[in-house]
Amino acid sequence: MRPFTYASASTVEEALAGAGADSAYLAGGTTLVDLMKLEVMSPAAVLNIDTLPLRDIRHDHTGLHVGALARMSDVAAHRLVTARYPVISQALLHSASPQLRNMASIGGNVLQRTRCGYFRDPATACNKRTPGSGCAAITGYNRAHAVLGTSESCVATHPSDLAVALVALDASVLLRDRAGERAVRLADFYLLPGDTPHLENRLRPGELLAGVTVPPLSWARRSTYVKVRDRRPYEFALTSVAAAVDLRGDTIADVRLAAGGVGTKPWRLPAVEDALRSRPLRADTVKAAVTHAADDATPLSHNGFKPELLRRTIVRALLTLAGRP
Amino acid sequence: MTNSPIGSTLNRVDGPDKVTGAARYAGDESPTGLVHGHLVLATIGNGTIRSMDTGAARDHTGVLEIYTPDNPLPLHGVPPGVAFYFSETRRPLSDHEVRYHGQIVGLVIAETPEQARDAAALITVDYERRPANASFRDNVDDAVVPEPTPLPMGLPITILADGVPSIDAALAASPVTVTATYTHPARHHNALEPHAAVATWDGDRLTIHSTTQAPAAHAIELAQAFAVPADHVHVVNPHVGGGFGGKAFTWGPTYLAAAAARRLGRPVKVVPTREQLHTTTGHRSAAHQTVTLGSSADGTLNAIRHLSVTQAIGEDPGTRLTMKAYATENLHVSLRVTTGLNVPTTTILRAPGEETGSFAIECAMDELAIELGLDPIELRTRNHLTHTLSPDPATRLPYSNKHLIECYRLGARRFGWDTRNPAPRSTLATGGWLVGTGMAGAVLNASRAFTAVRVSFRPDGTAAVATSTADLGTGMRTVLAIMGTDSLGIPVDRIRPLIGDSRLPVGPDAVYGAQGSAATATVAPVVRDAAADAVEELINHAVTEPRSPLHGRDGVRYTAGDLTDGATTIGFGDLLTTTGGTDVGATTTSGPVTPPSYAFASHAAHFCEVRVHRLTGEIRVSRMTTVVDAGTIVNEKTARNQIVGGVVWGIGPALFESAHVEPDTGRIANANFADYLVPVNADVPDVDVVFLDHPDTNFSPLGARGLGELGTVGSAAAVANAVHHATGIRVRDLPITPEKLLTTPTGQA
Ligand SMILES: Cc1cc2nc3c(=O)[nH]c(=O)nc-3n(C[C@H](O)[C@H](O)[C@H](O)COP(=O)(O)OP(=O)(O)OC[C@H]3O[C@@H](n4cnc5c(N)ncnc54)[C@H](O)[C@@H]3O)c2cc1C
Ligand code: SF4
Repeated sequence: MRPFTYASASTVEEALAGAGADSAYLAGGTTLVDLMKLEVMSPAAVLNIDTLPLRDIRHDHTGLHVGALARMSDVAAHRLVTARYPVISQALLHSASPQLRNMASIGGNVLQRTRCGYFRDPATACNKRTPGSGCAAITGYNRAHAVLGTSESCVATHPSDLAVALVALDASVLLRDRAGERAVRLADFYLLPGDTPHLENRLRPGELLAGVTVPPLSWARRSTYVKVRDRRPYEFALTSVAAAVDLRGDTIADVRLAAGGVGTKPWRLPAVEDALRSRPLRADTVKAAVTHAADDATPLSHNGFKPELLRRTIVRALLTLAGRP
Repeated sequence: MTNSPIGSTLNRVDGPDKVTGAARYAGDESPTGLVHGHLVLATIGNGTIRSMDTGAARDHTGVLEIYTPDNPLPLHGVPPGVAFYFSETRRPLSDHEVRYHGQIVGLVIAETPEQARDAAALITVDYERRPANASFRDNVDDAVVPEPTPLPMGLPITILADGVPSIDAALAASPVTVTATYTHPARHHNALEPHAAVATWDGDRLTIHSTTQAPAAHAIELAQAFAVPADHVHVVNPHVGGGFGGKAFTWGPTYLAAAAARRLGRPVKVVPTREQLHTTTGHRSAAHQTVTLGSSADGTLNAIRHLSVTQAIGEDPGTRLTMKAYATENLHVSLRVTTGLNVPTTTILRAPGEETGSFAIECAMDELAIELGLDPIELRTRNHLTHTLSPDPATRLPYSNKHLIECYRLGARRFGWDTRNPAPRSTLATGGWLVGTGMAGAVLNASRAFTAVRVSFRPDGTAAVATSTADLGTGMRTVLAIMGTDSLGIPVDRIRPLIGDSRLPVGPDAVYGAQGSAATATVAPVVRDAAADAVEELINHAVTEPRSPLHGRDGVRYTAGDLTDGATTIGFGDLLTTTGGTDVGATTTSGPVTPPSYAFASHAAHFCEVRVHRLTGEIRVSRMTTVVDAGTIVNEKTARNQIVGGVVWGIGPALFESAHVEPDTGRIANANFADYLVPVNADVPDVDVVFLDHPDTNFSPLGARGLGELGTVGSAAAVANAVHHATGIRVRDLPITPEKLLTTPTGQA
């Protein structure tokens, strides 16, 4: 860990005023402190924002609003969330461990860095950590890595489960800097790696993520999050799927699907959604609809199973919503 | 008279200390003047260090010294005894060669651990790189027969029935054969407590708080490295947070802590990080085993051929397991070892050889049962081994007190085996989970080593039971307390178990720690002998000490803490208070079982139920029953704990554990607890453990054989066999991960 200065902000204005080019906001610290110890992130200044009054969880006609500093555990257990957006609650409960969820914030979750092991080991080549140094994962051990949205520079997944649910629900993040506030759709907020994998999102230097807004979606009550991994809890996804269906009889009037563990960012699946609309929610239609779910995939040496596992995970999520997993 | 607590479910005597944090582990020690060391590890897999730039690190606040191959610390000779075979023979920092990724290339000493760590990160190393040869699999074909060693491992053994020319001929003559290759990745001990060492020198005398399974052996290994007499090294390890073989021998970080302390004249603490532990403190070799079973149509085994390749003689499945598993007229086991791999040093790990071997043999038996259309229990029962296998029929010994068939039967009843539909992929539960069940047998050689125990009486009314072994979490302290109570007839809370110190009594020519599942079997019977000798000393004291109220009396007896001649009765505490005696007792030494007219082994049967998702292939162990035949059970609670732990150590390799060694660099891609997966609570069902409790009095008067590693033997095979039953897919390459079960078309159930 490199030396840094530390300060705590009590208002958003104070936080924004204190932020500089080489500073980092500290929320729950479960990503930041980890990466500072590994010397992957070495900010000159750490600004504690955990004290800011951004912990609200509320619902109105414009949707669900969650403050950036609400705890993962509080959001997962909130009755508004469990009742209206079970997919969010499930995505959170399938994340990390109870101890981590008690500590970690929603903003920090959306902004967490990749779990690529080379990114986390400064002795290896990593374009995301050290632009231009190369990508050790492409020739290394890459079972957990992405197959969609990858580039020759970077094949790391975005690790957040919550973000997959939020992208499926078309959520936006509220960003605030000294100039004011703006809302950005989460799906647009994340960037593909291209040849600049160190640029991960549209957050400007010093900008604060103030909260997340999920637009109203009455039928999100019928939603679920399926996460596939080796170990039962406490592991990042091999694949995951956030699914919501608007079911009229047994016909799919509308559907939302996004996948995790497979893309360099949370991966919305519009083609599969299209193939499902107006079809009955049955095993055969679902299986037909997922055939082309991963056509653009570029598997690596250790993750050739991901396209097939993704198709199966989608099928499982949808059949779960039909009550026949 | 206090009832003997043998076989009871006594709570751990050190439980409250551990739960409240009062128990002090090696790394908790902070003597005055302490400084801290942080290791620097190589980031290439093969090459030579051209130079190291330590300038920035030297300038870092608090840094006192930096040791590198250019500024090495003196360490003499090579590890003595078995440590030579099971630990690193090259001394750390002794040359500029890098043989594996993660090898120690430096030690930074600073006033605080953080300063040492941060300075270490500033060191850069210029390497002359050579390609690393780190893939075990790529080296299997080139493996060689190991050099003979004094250890009875590694050599090929062939047993043939009269007139049978070769094992191949025996197999060719078998009406039914199955053959398959089973592979294990390298795995790591990952004890919760890291290898911590706090070393303090006083002249040429070393006191080291160090986490070790064998304090006396540790002292000898350290004494050798520092060229001082063994009694100049005092090892203290009252609590050990897991060992599993990884703390049986002395490793580089500990040697360096002691060497730096000597050089600097200040106490030094070194605690490797989790990642560093993966490469500096030993691991279990990867394994490649090909098993061929030949049987008659009714399932009688005619021939077993077990060809193993590992990286280490200690990981010898054929000798350690297959020789003890099933009856057969013809058998061939062999071990070849890979050489020159650029990977970290291998060592023993919980049930070395037995764990790997049992996976291969117990899966192969399942495959044969299916081939024959026979129930797996029936196949095993038909091939029950009653005598040891040996090339010389005259040396075959009967197994003493072997109740493996009872384990199968009882387990089958508890588990509900009889209602099983043997057809694979025949049961689908709600939620889309395929359900399957599997079983496996287990055998673990039972041994006892030389040891010495001191039992002594104290004026405060307590009795000490002391021996130089360690409690790795196994419950050794509790075993000593139970045996003390059993032998002296006083309550458990008046027994003071003393362990975890190299100065406590050790056996004459072996320095025995807690390993090989033999600690209880070794130590417990000797407590009885030592207690009897101590009582004799106490009576002698009572009748010869002038101030004793029993001075000069005849017929003085000891019962339940009191001495009496019929007329006068006095408790030993009062007696010693009166006489001024401080520590009256005896040190008694045992030998191993001699001469053996029996073979001794503990046995078990495992039954496992798994659920595998029909679409996505996740595997969840939903039920487990293990029936154990290990003779007398000294404490049911800690014994159960050991078996459950062992079963968890079978679920781990079956489903999760694997070091992902990069073939071209030798770097372990997952050397941390987020990526090196071990089972967590939710992955482990409530394990139903039953003990048969048939005392093996041929083994020792107490009748307790070892069981620490037994749960680990065979349990991975039970899981794999259940996965096969659930899915119809036989996975022979561990761990069994979801992608290995995606071989049916999407959605087919
Ligand atoms: C062992 C382990 C397992 C895990 N498993 C999972 C899992 O299965 N699924 C999953 O989704 N996650 C998992 N996580 C990640 C965890 O969810 C994140 O670490 C956590 O959500 C981050 O939140 P935090 O408040 O601790 O963020 P911090 O660590 O405080 O911050 C993270 C980053 O975001 C920045 N930041 C934080 N808040 C703001 C803000 N409001 N505005 C601007 N910048 C901000 C920080 O500067 C930092 O760069 C795991 C983490 C660990 C350590
Ligand atoms: S995949 Fe991305 S994060 Fe991982 S090493 Fe390559 S560039 Fe770095």
